Amino acid sequence: MARDEARLEAAQAALQSLVAAKLRFLVPMSIIFMVGYIGLTVIAGFAKGLLGVKIVGSLNLGFALIGLNYVLSWALALVYERIANKIFDPLASRAAASGRRSAA
Amino acid sequence: MSVTVVIFAVILLISLGITYWAARRTATASDFYAADGRLTAAQNGFALAGDWCSAAAFLGFTGLTSLYGMDGAFYALGPLVAFCTVLFVIAEPLRNSGRYTLGDVIRSRMQTRASLLAAITGTVAVNFAYLMPQMAGAGVLVRLLTGISYDWAEIFVGISMIVYVAFGGMLATTWVQIVKAVLMLGAGAIILVMALSLVHFNPLSFFAQAEAKYGAHFLLPGNYLKNPFDQISLGLGYVLGLAGLPHVMTRFYTVPDAKAARRSVVWVMFLAGAFFAATTLFGLAAANFVGQDAIRAADKGGNLTLPLLAQYLGGGKGSFGGELMLGFVAAVAVATILAVVSALTLSTSSTIAHDFYVNWVKGGRVEGRREVWIARATAVVIGLLAIALGILAQGVNVAVLVILAICVAASANFPVLILSLFWRRFNTGGVIGGMTVGLVSSVVLAMIGPAMRGSEALWPLVNPTIVSMPLGFLGAVVGSLLAGRDMGNEKRFDAFLLQVHTAVAPE
Repeated sequence: MARDEARLEAAQAALQSLVAAKLRFLVPMSIIFMVGYIGLTVIAGFAKGLLGVKIVGSLNLGFALIGLNYVLSWALALVYERIANKIFDPLASRAAASGRRSAA
Repeated sequence: MSVTVVIFAVILLISLGITYWAARRTATASDFYAADGRLTAAQNGFALAGDWCSAAAFLGFTGLTSLYGMDGAFYALGPLVAFCTVLFVIAEPLRNSGRYTLGDVIRSRMQTRASLLAAITGTVAVNFAYLMPQMAGAGVLVRLLTGISYDWAEIFVGISMIVYVAFGGMLATTWVQIVKAVLMLGAGAIILVMALSLVHFNPLSFFAQAEAKYGAHFLLPGNYLKNPFDQISLGLGYVLGLAGLPHVMTRFYTVPDAKAARRSVVWVMFLAGAFFAATTLFGLAAANFVGQDAIRAADKGGNLTLPLLAQYLGGGKGSFGGELMLGFVAAVAVATILAVVSALTLSTSSTIAHDFYVNWVKGGRVEGRREVWIARATAVVIGLLAIALGILAQGVNVAVLVILAICVAASANFPVLILSLFWRRFNTGGVIGGMTVGLVSSVVLAMIGPAMRGSEALWPLVNPTIVSMPLGFLGAVVGSLLAGRDMGNEKRFDAFLLQVHTAVAPE
């Protein structure tokens, strides 16, 4: 048990910087997709007419925003994967390594 | 219809071949529940697409769009956006902290029997609420597509899934999903190209034709979901409910690490997302080419829209091309249902065999070979139960169960999972409080709502997630506070959090 605690203390600092990095990126990214999608359902519920405004030919704002939500989800997924590979993974392996080292 | 039977027989033979191959490679509990964690991200991504595109997605979204316009497009968009939640906060922590089930995560965090039982309850409730309408849908669809009776359709679907799951475990279930996903995406691509070729590859023409034929009103929201709060509730249910569906969670245990789990979500977002987007165009194309009257005449819920569109594109009723396309799409629809019910059966038998019998009843003291044997036997029992429930469900309004499955997932499983992963003060009392309040409020509100009671509803919303999900979170927090502080649990949280983020397990 004592060995476990020593190991954890060593890993704590590295873990905290990983969690901080995750929060820094994931909070704004989650707000973007939640506002984009739930916001669209709110408009659909309470301001139908707005979504009927024509954009190109018969394509209205509603369908255009639905299309935009697809693109936004895909873009966020790719951005997340990139950030996770470049920023989260190195921080995670540092936390994991210091966790394992003090255990050995 | 004979074309459907021939094509489907080929798919069935392939699936049985896969099962035979998989059964020879399934020996340990880890093989059976999680394909030994050895799938690649791409394989898991295709299998997730197979899991997540039920018949409701394959046939339903197209039908809704063809009959109700924009609301159908909303139904199709939600399931893609939902994967943002899964990607950001669920997939990697689940892979890092669990072995086979939701129960594993809760058990390793709380280390109490009561919390494990709560996790089992949530898993079984969601899976059965999901399985029953799938079985009922399977009966109706197989009868419509092949002409055999509803009861025989149930028995046929049930026995096929029992064979896949009991013999081939996760490996067979996964490859059945992959084959189905490839067929589904292939069918979608063919239909899309053929439909676009009729409008000189300008998708805007679909909108113009639909407006000319049915008026601008058709392209507005609110034709299907009349209550504005239902629109929002549906969105919330999707975005948080997917993350609480046990048969989807289980898929993240089939890959070796968090990086592969992450990559498999990106795969499914592009594969399934592209298909969902295409269903909106299919719906509009079907409304234009086939017409709403013909769609309603075939099935008033619009579930045969996609097969009808395929028939039209192939050359129309009676032509060889038309019948071939109809048969192909119909066969893929049946394969879709089989793949989804198999995944649900596997997930349910995993929680009964692994969480309930091995860990709850026997305290983990079950030898590996015996656990596999028990899991196989459980799969047979769950399958037989599903057949019985499917036969009983004939003619019953099962729509409420579809809503219930996703609502319970969002209101009970999701709060409990997310708080277990990230909240230090969360404890067994919170697990029980969140699970109970989320489950009870979802069931009660769905039962007194319009889906069950029609115009005599005591409560206005078809989908109660907008109320039951906050209630579930409230129950979880209040339960934690009422239960008092569990210092041992809070002390272990540091080690647990390290595992959630890095997969380094406490000793």
